[in-house]
Amino acid sequence: MHQTKNGRQITQTKPSTYLNEAVAIWFRDLRSEFRTRYALNAILMFAVTTLIAVSFSIGSFRIEEAERPFLYAVLLWIILTFSALSGLARSFVKEEEAGTMDILKLSARPQAVFLGKLLFNLTLLGAMELIIVPSFILLMAYQIKFPGFFIAMVISGGLGLAAGTTIIAAMIARASARGALFSVLSFPLLLPLMITAIKGCERAAVGIGTAGWPEVKMAVAYVIVMVIMSLFLFPLVWEE
Amino acid sequence: MFTLKVSGIGKHYGDALLFKDISFRLNLGDVFAIVGWNGSGKSTLLRIIAGLVRPSAGRIEMFCNGEPIPKESRRQFVGMVAPALSLYDELTGLENMEFFCRVRGVACNRNNCLEIIDGVGLAEHATKICGDYSSGMKQRLKLAQALLHKPPLLLLDEPGCNLDSKGIKVVEGIISKQRQLGVTIIASNEKREADYADKAINLSE
Repeated sequence: MHQTKNGRQITQTKPSTYLNEAVAIWFRDLRSEFRTRYALNAILMFAVTTLIAVSFSIGSFRIEEAERPFLYAVLLWIILTFSALSGLARSFVKEEEAGTMDILKLSARPQAVFLGKLLFNLTLLGAMELIIVPSFILLMAYQIKFPGFFIAMVISGGLGLAAGTTIIAAMIARASARGALFSVLSFPLLLPLMITAIKGCERAAVGIGTAGWPEVKMAVAYVIVMVIMSLFLFPLVWEE
Repeated sequence: MFTLKVSGIGKHYGDALLFKDISFRLNLGDVFAIVGWNGSGKSTLLRIIAGLVRPSAGRIEMFCNGEPIPKESRRQFVGMVAPALSLYDELTGLENMEFFCRVRGVACNRNNCLEIIDGVGLAEHATKICGDYSSGMKQRLKLAQALLHKPPLLLLDEPGCNLDSKGIKVVEGIISKQRQLGVTIIASNEKREADYADKAINLSE
């Protein structure tokens, strides 16, 4: 119970749930991001400049038609992955730089912090994919035979990217050489996902071997494993 | 009835010993001061009690009505103000309070938050962005944040830092009220702040 100045009481009705805490952190991060555009600017600037550079230098006609499905899938996932890497690490780094890490530790449970940050990174990545993927398809005249499979691959790959980068961001937030460490740790962790996503997008474009959606299943499995492992690992990373 | 038991706490960084064998027990109504020279470990001891830093030796125990409070639940029993703890500069004072209410599970609407902010003398500035606050105003908002969930253990690291005479009065009021609610620990170099306490430990000795 909390007695306010005029005698009104604020009651702590029930303990907060993980979900309530995570949603509170998610909304706070969104509100802060909306005001500062701290991560969004970094992600979009990287994504747009790379996309324009790729579309002007390679375009839709400098690659043999037979090679397009594979090369376009590679280019798309390079743009998506490196754009994500340029901004998603900031969710934790910003807490460290602003000195708000300790107050968050005192206020929320570690798993709720991880889930809140993951939701925020998913939102950012979703917004980025909504801009980048259609633009890439238009600028490169990317022809896809199985759009449903392609969309599922982009979504599941995006989920994997967000899950992977969120836990790496938490691990590097207090390190001195954050940028280098983030790249070094991200490479082995995200490589299997990238290879799967490239293969999946290639198959969606060619229209062969999509039965059973193997790459989508693989990416979903990656997300599940990554989130569960992160929920166990994060309290160790979070607490000093 | 809240009790804090600190037993044989020590902290060293590598070979450098900061302090060792700190033990005390505090009960409801106690106000305790940690004093010492700069670098003697006052803030570190407060951070250890808050659960933000692991001690090198010893243990911290908290009891509510004689029942031990599990480590993972202790954050609900602790309110802390420290120079190193920052609030969210890009949010307004009111938004900061609303966020901490939600994340701590305190049932608290906008008006309640405004009243708490008013309690530390920031009513007129509640809807201003925190980044535009003066250091004294930020300190007042930190005090409001620490009291939001009515914690039985209040940890104040240099509570009068950056405050004017009215702000100092607010701190005195908070410490006085906390005597009925739980335990207060003050870490400070200021004699005035240490004088609020009934018991003290000097880490320089």
